[in-house]
Amino acid sequence: MRKILYILFVVVSTAYSQTDWQKWEAKQVSYELPTKSVAYAQNENASLAGTFLNSLKSAYSFLISDYDGDNCPFSPSCANFFVEAVEETNLLSGTLMFADRFTRDMNVFKGVNHYPLHKSGKYFDPAGNYTLNLQKIKFEMVNN
Amino acid sequence: MILLISAAELYSQSGAQDDLFSPNNRLKFANHLYAEKDYLRAIGEYKEFLKSADNDTARFRFANSFLRIGRFDEAAQNFKILFIGSKLEEEAKLFYYQSLFFSKDFNAFQTNYDSRFNFPQKYSLTLDRLNSATYFLSKTNLPSGNVLIKPFDDSLQTKLIYYYLMMKNPPKKNSVTAALLSVAIPGAGKVYTGELTDGLIAFGATLLSGFLAVNNFQHDHNFRGWLFTGLTAFFYGGSIYGSAASAQIYNARLQFNLDSEIKLFFEERNYFLPKIDL
Amino acid sequence: MFRIRKYFVLLGIFCLQSNYAQSTVETQLAWADKLFASNQYFDAITEYKRVLFFDEQNKLITRVNFRIAECYKAGAHFYEAIKYFALVEKNSLNDSILIEAKLEIIRCNILRKTTERALQLCSEIERDERFYSKRDEINYWRGWAFMFADDWESASKIFAETPANKELKLLCNQVIDAKVSVTFATVISYILPGAGQIYSGKILSGLMSFAWNLAAGYFTVNAFVANRAFDGIVIGELVWLRFYRGNIENAKTFALEKNLEVSNKALKFLQNEYRGLKP
Repeated sequence: MRKILYILFVVVSTAYSQTDWQKWEAKQVSYELPTKSVAYAQNENASLAGTFLNSLKSAYSFLISDYDGDNCPFSPSCANFFVEAVEETNLLSGTLMFADRFTRDMNVFKGVNHYPLHKSGKYFDPAGNYTLNLQKIKFEMVNN
Repeated sequence: MILLISAAELYSQSGAQDDLFSPNNRLKFANHLYAEKDYLRAIGEYKEFLKSADNDTARFRFANSFLRIGRFDEAAQNFKILFIGSKLEEEAKLFYYQSLFFSKDFNAFQTNYDSRFNFPQKYSLTLDRLNSATYFLSKTNLPSGNVLIKPFDDSLQTKLIYYYLMMKNPPKKNSVTAALLSVAIPGAGKVYTGELTDGLIAFGATLLSGFLAVNNFQHDHNFRGWLFTGLTAFFYGGSIYGSAASAQIYNARLQFNLDSEIKLFFEERNYFLPKIDL
Repeated sequence: MFRIRKYFVLLGIFCLQSNYAQSTVETQLAWADKLFASNQYFDAITEYKRVLFFDEQNKLITRVNFRIAECYKAGAHFYEAIKYFALVEKNSLNDSILIEAKLEIIRCNILRKTTERALQLCSEIERDERFYSKRDEINYWRGWAFMFADDWESASKIFAETPANKELKLLCNQVIDAKVSVTFATVISYILPGAGQIYSGKILSGLMSFAWNLAAGYFTVNAFVANRAFDGIVIGELVWLRFYRGNIENAKTFALEKNLEVSNKALKFLQNEYRGLKP
């Protein structure tokens, strides 16, 4: 019995020793319930084209997309993808990337294409994957 | 006797705080924390102890605590101190290499490995395996396959040869080929990269909008004609660009899967390290 | 005779030695407590562990483990805190420290929002006759657990059982009153697009939704009236239905958001302004 207790103690003490492998400070947890982050982060260092597109996108959101439901199966959504694409490259490449995305969106069998799943349940398909820069391709889920 | 008692009393008052912090007690407490895997606190105690005393085991544990919590530079520095004239010299040398290895500074590891001197025979096979692992994990400056797989058991060699060949000549798809294929037939580049349905949709969309453009022009609906011409260009351009991007994604996925598999291979076997409890 | 005296002296020194060790440990405890009081919890744990290690007679084990648990709790490391409170429970010599540890475990579970576990522990203590006098306190924490789980109705009911918890009961009722009905919002948006959004306080969005549905509906109907059935189907399916579905989605989302806002306002109040005992 004593041995079992001892083993239990050792197991327990090893399980939570990792917390202390870095010095920590006092911390208050928020009582509040978690809110879903829905905001699309706008790039502060956006180029001129990017800024223009961002305002265009805001207008699109305000006038149309805020009211027609959550239709896009991708994350980021097609409109955000376009803005990201232009910001990452230029207007021409961005438009081509958007055309490609639009085509892929029409594919009803896209689930077979191994898009990683975003935690919102959508297919994770960031613009960075299509900039023709191998370094920017991301497969793992991101927390946003 | 009264004298003795008062002397002891005096001593206890003056030394009350110091006693638990004597080097000996520091060491005892440090060893206790080390055994509990409370490494950061153990480091603090060993550090104080080592200021006034020298002890190979304490130094080793001090260094190993750094290694365990991922502070590899400090670990390497302290293992190095044990290289000459210490009873733990052999282990310290192996653990020094482990610190380099886990810091992921594979270049430093390889340079140190190539210029190693007086490395203990006992751990030389382990070190050779670690060295091979650095090449498998970094995939740069690959030496010949034979050298890399030599330290491993025969049963593992087939797998390692496969990894090696995949690293040397990965079956990549060419972006330019993919783009050119889509120039010839919209969406063909996507079929080439394995995205069959995406390719068919791109083909269909381009063809349909092209047909509608021609059809509208034939019926003198010029506005609609130009609209669908624009749409055709949109889909056509998108399919060419998308095919090149798709080839890259294919290659990146290939790379990613191979990397994950190799990493898992070594991780599952704990990098072939012997179990040393010190 | 001389021999006997010598033994006495040795015995005296020996006694002093052991006393001396214990007093040193207690001095060390005071030092750890000082660190604890100045909110240096990580360092305090180190020193408490030193106390535990050198306290060979285990006289301080309960007290020190309790303190270590409190340190972890203050650092929001609830898993570790609960482990140490559980150690206190295991080594406790009397019921008062036992119940204190148990209640602390409940409070940690409330804070890390593992409500089920908190409620389960509350019931366990309630069934234990030794802690009959603690019923009110258990109910108090049960109410908190419900509030943290966004179940204000249950919390209100629990707080209503004890007159002392009147303030919290009122707070719960305020939350319940301020919340909107998600079902109602959805249903009225089925009937009149935009109504659910306006009900949840998003007036502009509601009006825009209404306008889109009106316009799309008009064009759809118009197409059918003018015998352009194909156009009617296309506009109906691609435009009207899309905005109609979006309208219902929004009605539900906004109602949920509004309720979350109400809950969080109350929880924020509890965290920052409420003066009573908190988890």
